[in-house]
Amino acid sequence: MTIVDYSRRRVRYNAIIIGGGHNGLTAGAYLARAGRKVLVLERRPVLGGAAVTEEVFPGFRFSVCSYVVSLLRPELIRELDLPRHGLEILPLDGTFTPVAEGPYLWRVDDHAKTRREIARHSLLDAEAYDEFGKAMVKMARFVKPFLNMTPPDPLTRDPRELMKFALIATRFRALSDEDRRHQLQLMTMSAADFLDQWFETDVLKATLSASGIIGTSLGVRSPGTAYVLLHHYIGEIDGSFRSWGLARGGTGAISTAIAEAAREAGAEIRTDAPVDGIRIKHGRAIGVALATGDELDADVVLSSVDPRLTFLKFVGARELPSEFVDEVRRYRFRGSSGKVNLALDGLPDFSCLPGRGTHLRGAISISPSVDYMERAYDQAKYGEFSRRPYIDMVIPTLTDPSVAPPGKHILSCFVQYAPYALARGTWDEQREAFGDTVVDTLAEYAPNIRTIVLHRQVLTPLDLEREFGLTEGNIFHGELTLDQLFFLRPVPGWARYSTPIRNLWMCGSATHPGGGIMGAPGRNAARRILGQAR
Amino acid sequence: MRDVVIIGGGHNGLVAAAFLAKAGLRPLVLERAERIGGCAITSEIVPGFRCPTLAHRAAIDRAVIRALDLERHGLEVVRPAARVCAPTSDGRALTLWADTARAAREISAFSPRDAARYPGFLSSVAAVSGVLRALTATLPPSIDHLSAADLVECLRVARKFRALGKADAYRLLRWLPMPSADFTREWFESEPLCATIAAGGTLGSFLGPRSGGSTAVLLWLAAGEGHPIAPGWTARGGIGAVSEALASAARQAGAEIRVGAEVRQIVVQEGAATGVVLATGEHVTARRVVSNADPRRTLLGLVDPVHLASGFVRGTQNIRMRGSLAKINYAVSSLPRFAGVGASDRHEREAALSGWVRLCPDMDAMERAFDAAKYGGYSHDPWIELAIPTILDPGLAPAGQHVVSAYVQFAPYSLRGTTWDREREQLAEVATGTIARYAPGFEQSVVARQIITPMDLERTYGLTGGQIFHGELALDQLLSARPLPGWARYVTPIRNLFLCGAGAHPGTGLDGRAGVLAARQVIKAARK
Repeated sequence: MTIVDYSRRRVRYNAIIIGGGHNGLTAGAYLARAGRKVLVLERRPVLGGAAVTEEVFPGFRFSVCSYVVSLLRPELIRELDLPRHGLEILPLDGTFTPVAEGPYLWRVDDHAKTRREIARHSLLDAEAYDEFGKAMVKMARFVKPFLNMTPPDPLTRDPRELMKFALIATRFRALSDEDRRHQLQLMTMSAADFLDQWFETDVLKATLSASGIIGTSLGVRSPGTAYVLLHHYIGEIDGSFRSWGLARGGTGAISTAIAEAAREAGAEIRTDAPVDGIRIKHGRAIGVALATGDELDADVVLSSVDPRLTFLKFVGARELPSEFVDEVRRYRFRGSSGKVNLALDGLPDFSCLPGRGTHLRGAISISPSVDYMERAYDQAKYGEFSRRPYIDMVIPTLTDPSVAPPGKHILSCFVQYAPYALARGTWDEQREAFGDTVVDTLAEYAPNIRTIVLHRQVLTPLDLEREFGLTEGNIFHGELTLDQLFFLRPVPGWARYSTPIRNLWMCGSATHPGGGIMGAPGRNAARRILGQAR
Repeated sequence: MRDVVIIGGGHNGLVAAAFLAKAGLRPLVLERAERIGGCAITSEIVPGFRCPTLAHRAAIDRAVIRALDLERHGLEVVRPAARVCAPTSDGRALTLWADTARAAREISAFSPRDAARYPGFLSSVAAVSGVLRALTATLPPSIDHLSAADLVECLRVARKFRALGKADAYRLLRWLPMPSADFTREWFESEPLCATIAAGGTLGSFLGPRSGGSTAVLLWLAAGEGHPIAPGWTARGGIGAVSEALASAARQAGAEIRVGAEVRQIVVQEGAATGVVLATGEHVTARRVVSNADPRRTLLGLVDPVHLASGFVRGTQNIRMRGSLAKINYAVSSLPRFAGVGASDRHEREAALSGWVRLCPDMDAMERAFDAAKYGGYSHDPWIELAIPTILDPGLAPAGQHVVSAYVQFAPYSLRGTTWDREREQLAEVATGTIARYAPGFEQSVVARQIITPMDLERTYGLTGGQIFHGELALDQLLSARPLPGWARYVTPIRNLFLCGAGAHPGTGLDGRAGVLAARQVIKAARK
């Protein structure tokens, strides 16, 4: 009888990355390109995490979760040469806000057109809109360099870290009085109050304010929501056509392109490979254990999943300092949104602007008034989904017909508010009622919707958690509120991608600069590990 | 020609007057009303019943009390044995005694876990308050012209911040932008305890407990005393005694105070303030004018805006001043009997009610009350903070009878589809009914009531928008941005015109800090 020494056969990786979402893949690509032996492990059969395309109904390929590209870092596109790996971003033009009674609002990239459009509502607002756009671009320029920065620790004594604060202060002082005021207001005010200073048209304020609440459990009138408005403009300054649009083939094409770049650099990527735990020895991460029972060795482990899963599930509280565990438990998720994907037999016909004009080609936003937005939030506060929710949707088939059978369409609806914790009943019981609410809401603006729906996929916050590993259904791996941003994300003192476990790193959306298909957390973390960034 | 004219005889105006007079300048205080005091006044509701008309808590800075020797001028600070008594909806009551151990024992009836955490909570808040207090007590740094003195001050605060230690330092950063509901939930599980504490972040603000930034309000107001729950004290003889003592100190130092002297206009010549014109037409010339009125009233009402740049005017118009508080004062024939409060023992009952009584046992209800305000209605289930000053000061009412002072929230300044003049009585009915729900028989005991709507706060007491802090205490309206970025140091674009009220830094209620810091700037300017 021969004895086989399996341990000798074991491959040792330089880096194992948990999670094949866009951030995990990005980190993998950067590490592989630096010559590291990399393994990316994805629990699901498909790559991409929440940036995924799946054929849910025959012939209909849905961007199941995330459905538009707005913030993908241009340096990442460049460095990983994503267009060569098949990424093609198709521009998405404009935002159409139907209104049941009263004039609709349709903003497009064409400056003069938008101006005329807003002037239909208010001449003053048409003037202000220009000023507003300019001011926001300036603010976005101010914030942009911080996206690629490893957040400095405010309690550090390291002079090089303190220099980062000096840099921030210097940049802030270099702003004009007015810009400083705007910056301060953006960081702290409510989206509604901030916009009130500029505009008088209700529907304009409502539709602009919507970007402030996406993914948080706050209303447009709650201080702290203005900040997220800015994210909208960060994409804009990178050139509106490259960065605000749809990926050809669906959002999953982004993940696929990043995965291709990683593979080309030598990374190994496994799907259907759920991780059971992170192996720790003497306070250091030494690899991972798979659900199959296999154990893998690595010099470093990166987790692109959120801190609750990483530390409480994969590491285990016993391995960690108790204050750290408390902070992880305290980190707020509170998912507030769901996703409804519709397969359509035709196009929705909006009563306020009938026909299949170009207004259907951009984003369509159900946000008719500030009060509407706020009332939608009111219900969620007390544990119900909004009876009349805020819906942001696109019809990707008008831009990229390849994702549906000829003549058919897809309507991808992001729906807020849908609180993870319901006061009554469970999401499994409420799922269809939630789907009905979305269709009923749409029918108030486009009555033909009921007759053209072929199939419907309803994703509640609970589904997002179960299927995509988004804890409490939060699409950003934790709320994007001021107390959970920059050097406070995800845990104060641990915002620099490292963790209390040596050789264990975080590289997902729960780290700076946060969620959305940005890729910055993955890139920043990889650069830190490689010693290319401090 | 006067050295200095001070517009408004509220507590900050009086503090400024006293310090200016001590420095040898001869200030003249002009008060519109027939008596001094602004928001810190005691008046008769009906003959024999005297009640704090507006504020029922004061927190004059200890350093001011000492420097002006206010005790010699008749101020007697009274600190009640109980900070807050919070009757619950199920007929119990949670009394948070000033004595921490005693409060913790009360809390343990609701949650032993919370009781164990309570002392740690207080000490953590006390620690971060040290840093915030340092910020409230100094001039906010100028962003454009950071002087050596500013830098030293910044470093001093930074050192204090570091000295907090890791846990509290991060807490301070994390807490400020949070909703007060989340802040309290981080510590406690018991609903009445969470709600009672979280309420402090909404009092006087257009914020609900779930609004971001309500923790900043809570902590900013708590900074002076380092205590997060109903900070402040009351004065023997009623809250008006605070103003009397300040006025007496100012007069003795050489200030002149005129009441019934309404300023109509600040005279500006060649970009500089040269005096004021009274409603009577009288012209008072002065080298410097200091306004205790709020920034909007001062700069857009008393100054002709032609003297100001359009950007500055717009900024001033945009200062958020949305009042959310109404005040109702009751004369009652007997002490309200709250279920669960010292049922058997009169002394115990009076001690429990000697501080403030908060009727807000659950956060959802408080949030719903705010929801009404968001859409321009007043809440029909408001949350109310009461003070019963006659418990410690029986002389304020006939023997055995009482006065009850009630802050009623939420009552927004701007109503939709109706006016406060029309809703006044209905608001009082709602408030009375709410109090009676916790204290059965309260309705029958009411002898008289005085209703002060947010509109009255503006019209009668000069608080623009009914905003009790002269401008909301939001993160973008504090420190170097209060009242406007670039103008946080009590000066205005009009030369020789200064601000000294709560609309300027730090804006933390009845503490007189703005008056002290403004006086310092005026003295510095005078000596140049």
